[in-house]
Amino acid sequence: MVMTTHEEKMRTVRFRVAATPHIVVDSEVCRDSGCSLRACVYVCPANLFVPLDDGGILFNYEQCFECGTCYIACNQEGAIRWSYPDGGYGVTFRES
Amino acid sequence: MSAATASESFDVIVVGAGPAGSTAALLCARAGLQVLLLERGEYPGAKNVSGAAFYGSAILNELIPNWWEQAPVERYICRRDIAFMSPTTSVALDFHCAGEGYTTPPYNGFIVLRPRFDRWLAAQAEAAGAFLLTSTVVDDVLRENGRVVGVRVRREQGDIRGKVVIACDGVNSFLAKKVGLQREFHAHELSLGVKEVLGLDPTIIEDRFRLSGDEGIAYEYLGAITEDVHGGAFLYTNRDSLSLGVIGQVSSLVERRKRPYELLERFKAHPAVAPLVRGAKLREYSAHLIPESGWSMKPTLYTDGMLVAGDAAGFCLAAGLYLEGMNYAMQSGLAAAETAIEACRRDRFSARALSGYRKHLKRRNVSTDFRAYRHAPAFVNSARLQNLYPEVVASGMEQLFRVDGKAKRKILPLARQMMRQYQLKPGDMLRDGYQVVRAYLW
Amino acid sequence: MHIAVCLKHVPDPSTVEVDPLTGAIDDGRVLYMLNPADESALELALRLRPADGKVTAISIGPADADALLREALAAGVDSVVRVWDASLGPIKPAITSVLLAAALRATGLPDLVLCGGYSADRGSGTVPALLAEHLGWPAITDVTRFEIVSGRALVQRRLARGARAESEVLLPAVLGLDLDRLRLRQASLPKLMRAKHAPVPLCGLEALDLSPQDLHFPAMTLHEVMPPRPRARMMFAPDATAPVQERVAQILSAGIAGKSGQKVEGGTPEQQADAIIDFLRQRGFLEERAGP
Repeated sequence: MVMTTHEEKMRTVRFRVAATPHIVVDSEVCRDSGCSLRACVYVCPANLFVPLDDGGILFNYEQCFECGTCYIACNQEGAIRWSYPDGGYGVTFRES
Repeated sequence: MSAATASESFDVIVVGAGPAGSTAALLCARAGLQVLLLERGEYPGAKNVSGAAFYGSAILNELIPNWWEQAPVERYICRRDIAFMSPTTSVALDFHCAGEGYTTPPYNGFIVLRPRFDRWLAAQAEAAGAFLLTSTVVDDVLRENGRVVGVRVRREQGDIRGKVVIACDGVNSFLAKKVGLQREFHAHELSLGVKEVLGLDPTIIEDRFRLSGDEGIAYEYLGAITEDVHGGAFLYTNRDSLSLGVIGQVSSLVERRKRPYELLERFKAHPAVAPLVRGAKLREYSAHLIPESGWSMKPTLYTDGMLVAGDAAGFCLAAGLYLEGMNYAMQSGLAAAETAIEACRRDRFSARALSGYRKHLKRRNVSTDFRAYRHAPAFVNSARLQNLYPEVVASGMEQLFRVDGKAKRKILPLARQMMRQYQLKPGDMLRDGYQVVRAYLW
Repeated sequence: MHIAVCLKHVPDPSTVEVDPLTGAIDDGRVLYMLNPADESALELALRLRPADGKVTAISIGPADADALLREALAAGVDSVVRVWDASLGPIKPAITSVLLAAALRATGLPDLVLCGGYSADRGSGTVPALLAEHLGWPAITDVTRFEIVSGRALVQRRLARGARAESEVLLPAVLGLDLDRLRLRQASLPKLMRAKHAPVPLCGLEALDLSPQDLHFPAMTLHEVMPPRPRARMMFAPDATAPVQERVAQILSAGIAGKSGQKVEGGTPEQQADAIIDFLRQRGFLEERAGP
């Protein structure tokens, strides 16, 4: 099975989910700034950003690769607050 | 083994147990310093991703003679293949070397899997006497009178003092940014790599790639593989798996609204790649940012009580022909360690006392290489090189080799026709030619 | 009060990949972790510990388990002990419980033993009860909540179908916990550093005064591992002797007979009982007993 769906890809990754999110998306900022680019939705390799009809963004931190791409790609000051999860939590790569 | 306790302070605190951090800790520990090596992952390498072609064998061999005999390596690289792609064709430069130093010790390069390799390397630092703590995030540095005097980890009573802090905390380096050594990056300076490890039987790998024993091959691709997203792709042979990935400039991914994992699927489906990966089974998917802009994203490398090394300092050479990070990470880690050792010997830790770092980076050819290739990243990421030229070369070759009963055309008229077809302007080509010369020739 | 907590190193289920053809597990890709139910038990023990109390963590396994016990030390337990012997191979709950009981006796009997109710790998849930048996103590399993009041544990148990039972037990006792997930606290930096190279005492069979004979249980041999196969489904066939109309009706009802009742009226109680037994036998609920 060479070709895989994104869900199949994500199933191969091991996450130890922390109790609190390490990334917080402030949907107010997305809405108020009228962000139409929504870069986070496209660039996230784990596809964790879901655009909402009201212009906000729904974010799931549980399967985050902690790569930092969303933070770099977002052009709205203060929309994404980013840090690393607590030690030992988050993604654990086994082979990559 | 050092039996450090909490009340003690350390000579050197290294943040991040990747190739830069672990080699720095190893060298400092060997010099008899009290070294604390901090890693936020469950084990060193748990958060680390690269291709991973490791071209630092000779460097590591100086530290650990015949290191490849004990380290988890996949295969040594005896062939490199750089391919220009169009949607249906590929033109490749295939370099096969069976010469001294490539297929014999110390070997030019190895393919490794980072979670295993980094874990082994950190264990070497530990064996040398460094105190390794995993599952520990560093949130900030401690400052006194403007000088860095330690770090604050995200745990109760998490302040710990060290005479020198070496920040090897990777591409997102929060520490360098907190201290004001590094600015925020722009989306065009970083690339996102998405990768898959695909399991495949070793005998199939050896047959399919014409390898024997521990030989391995590194493929790098440029052109239509990432469509109009600036970037490239790679495929490396591991022992019983393939490492395959697509790299895309973040700003370019945003502009084109491309999802990185969809590019990965297109890459695997390309007619030049599909037969290579046929029958392989996905073992792990991963992603990581790459600091691709080299010299232009270099931070201030040191301040009072602190040094920056590895990806955190942008020491990753993505210059088309070269795709190297781990070797520069190690070289910069070693240079930082040498600086820290000197500082401890003289018991002076001001920025001035640490300014020897530049000298060591130069001696280890880190700054020399990055300065020499400082024009390459921008050139490699230019639109014409990324999208147009691979397409032109590929379709030019396609016409050159096509036999359809019509009169064969010689190369010059064909080139003229290609230029017309792709609206190539002689001025642009001349400019790009100059860029090549400036980026690579002298 | 002295609380002992039993910890087990288990494979993280999300890293266990079973080859669908051979049923084999790729060992090289498995990551181990502290059994989640034991993690909850450990955190609870630390929360319950009074100022003059003591928590001991105990684990059975080869040297890998030291990491687990050091994690417990870093989190704040007062002492740890690992039980292992070179003669031991893969072990089962019957042996685990004998070893645990012996180790608890050797290191000083606690007032309370907390176990995670089920392990993430084997999940038999039998260790707490077997351990209590070897210690001669009461055991309560499936405990969802409890408090210690003057030498007694007041316990709430989970029963089938969402029911709960409340009971009370005199300490010392063994509790098998079935709590909502509690995360183990983040260790402080000084404790983490002290635990890093802390020695983990090891108890072998000799130290426990056990002989291989004590661990001899009727052997179970693993013959084969097979992937699960869906159970065969009975297809309904209409009664061939019935008239066409009825057969069509039977097919359309897919074999589901209506719940037709039958009232038993009149006769002596014995006759009524016989009628009920006949009815059940006709419906196939009772099987004829063979022989006397």
